[in-house]
Amino acid sequence: MFTLTEKDISNLEKLKNKEILITGGSGFIGTWLTQLLIFLNDTYNFNITLYLIARHITSNLEVLVNNRKDIIFIKNDIRNVREFSKDIAYIIHAASSPDNRIYMSNPIESMNIITDGTKNSMENALLLEKLEKIVHLGSGQVYGSLDSHNITENDFGKLNCNSISTIYPEAKRYAETLTNAYRSLYKLPIVQVRPFSFIGPYMSLNKPWAVNSFIRDALKTKNIRILGNGKPVRSYMYPTDMALWILNMLIHGKSGAAYNLGSDMGISLEEVAVKIKNIIGSSLSIEILNMNDHCSEFVPNINYVKQDLGLEIRVDIDDALNKSIKWFEKNLV
Amino acid sequence: MTNKINLYDVTLRDGSHAISHQLTISQIEHYTKAIDQTGIYAVEVGHGNGLGASSVLVGKSQLSDEVLLKTAKSNLEHTKLGIHVIPGFATIKKDIEKALSWGVDIVRVASHCTEADITERHLGYVREKGKEAYGLLMMSHMASPETLLDEAIKMQTYGAEAIIILDSAGSYLPDDVKERITLLSQNLNVPVGFHAHNNLGLGISNSLVAIEAGAQIIDGATKGFGAGAGNAQLEVLAAVLQKMNYKTNIDLYKLLDTADIVEKDFIKEPITISSLSIVSAIAGVFSGFAKHVKRVAKEFNVDPRDIFMELGRQKVVAGQEDTIIDIALKLQKRI
Repeated sequence: MFTLTEKDISNLEKLKNKEILITGGSGFIGTWLTQLLIFLNDTYNFNITLYLIARHITSNLEVLVNNRKDIIFIKNDIRNVREFSKDIAYIIHAASSPDNRIYMSNPIESMNIITDGTKNSMENALLLEKLEKIVHLGSGQVYGSLDSHNITENDFGKLNCNSISTIYPEAKRYAETLTNAYRSLYKLPIVQVRPFSFIGPYMSLNKPWAVNSFIRDALKTKNIRILGNGKPVRSYMYPTDMALWILNMLIHGKSGAAYNLGSDMGISLEEVAVKIKNIIGSSLSIEILNMNDHCSEFVPNINYVKQDLGLEIRVDIDDALNKSIKWFEKNLV
Repeated sequence: MTNKINLYDVTLRDGSHAISHQLTISQIEHYTKAIDQTGIYAVEVGHGNGLGASSVLVGKSQLSDEVLLKTAKSNLEHTKLGIHVIPGFATIKKDIEKALSWGVDIVRVASHCTEADITERHLGYVREKGKEAYGLLMMSHMASPETLLDEAIKMQTYGAEAIIILDSAGSYLPDDVKERITLLSQNLNVPVGFHAHNNLGLGISNSLVAIEAGAQIIDGATKGFGAGAGNAQLEVLAAVLQKMNYKTNIDLYKLLDTADIVEKDFIKEPITISSLSIVSAIAGVFSGFAKHVKRVAKEFNVDPRDIFMELGRQKVVAGQEDTIIDIALKLQKRI
């Protein structure tokens, strides 16, 4: 699943024999990080001990963990964890779900998981004597109402705090500011990482995002329905790139810096649908209903990541869709 | 954006209220055969309160949902088949799964205007099955425009591909419609629709206001055959839109012929704006209560208008029909 170069391995050397903690360990990002860390242990003898904290374990993660001695799964709510294992050197704080349906139905609890969960993680991190770095996973949504195919880490649009649509990004902005306060006051070494959009195995096709719905509809009903004109532009990163980037940001990211995490290869929704059709076959139909004329763009600029960390996109959208669809064909229930 | 308007026909669902849910197989056959030739986008079929609603509380259907929907589907080639779903009346396993297997194309999941949360699973299920899923906010006059927007955003997030606001009590004035549809259409990514009732004689004009404010889906019923004073009269709406150069894809003559079927086969007494309909609109109470109110008022010998005004004061919603008797009893004692 992972193809790493000698340079990749050398860049990750610092993780050898270390203890790493991932909060929100059972989510899409946590599961892929687990997969990569297992790969490093099994293939390159990294001897990493991985702690995963999550409220529940998913079946995908359960298969990965599978009685391994190098992975310790802690079933708990991040808000209730009183102490981290004392030898932890690296923390990836990923606890929270980006699924907007959860935020709509249960907004107060959802915000609280981000705000109190982040605070509790930082308080526990303060007690770690061997701590080297924390990655705080924020969100590309902290950029607010930006409409651009070139969003840099310093661009910020508006967020209307009087709208329920901003529950998630407002909470994420707060969490980013809070972690920066810990960095400022207590000198915790914290790197901000802002994820955009992904597509790949372990993702739920039930999530309310365009590419997920397209693949689900393509596989289940052979019909992709695009409500608007198909012109909005997004970009999708494959999770092997995502996991490798996060570990590099964890090791080499500058404390206090913020990095975009995503692909800069923008693609319109109609182009995504056509690519899926080309993969699945001509039996698939695409309906463009033209019920709106939205043409928004939401694509990160990743020049800073490339320059500062030497990272690159290795899996392009065609390859990402191919790999994803193959996986979903086997695993879609 | 195009000036295309999708007209959605609720005659065989909202009209069920007008005949106490006693639609017959032959009525459905005649109607669906005719409507299928008109170019109308979709026709909704079922008990007035939607799938799975047939009950002693809100009235028993003469036909089962299965017979209603299979009969309709067997006569529809061009027009899509829609259903109205209120979570609670309809459950996913017991009702929606079966309805989809009978050929339903569009599922419109409805909640009271402040309770969109209850639609999440139903909308998600319909989307997962690849069918069109709409979110409907009933009794929308009972919420502020801002609250309606919040609830509409929730439905959109749950997967609704259109949001329809229902003037269930027929109590909107044109400015109320304009304010709400403008706010929703400017802030949602999915099309917005409007469902009028004609209690104050504003069914057509309010629908036009909705279109001018950005609505792209408009509900109507041929001959206005719906609950209470009826809905926006579909063939009139189609004619007006044609005259205003909106694209509706409707063959007006064929729609007029379909409306004649309703006049001949469905309507036992002319649909007028009764005194009680006017009172229900002023009270802000669901039009579908009218028949129950009339019956109970007669039984308890009280003024039905007083019942409506009290129902309005208590802010009752569909499903709380048993409150009518409670109010009648109290009014009777006062007398």
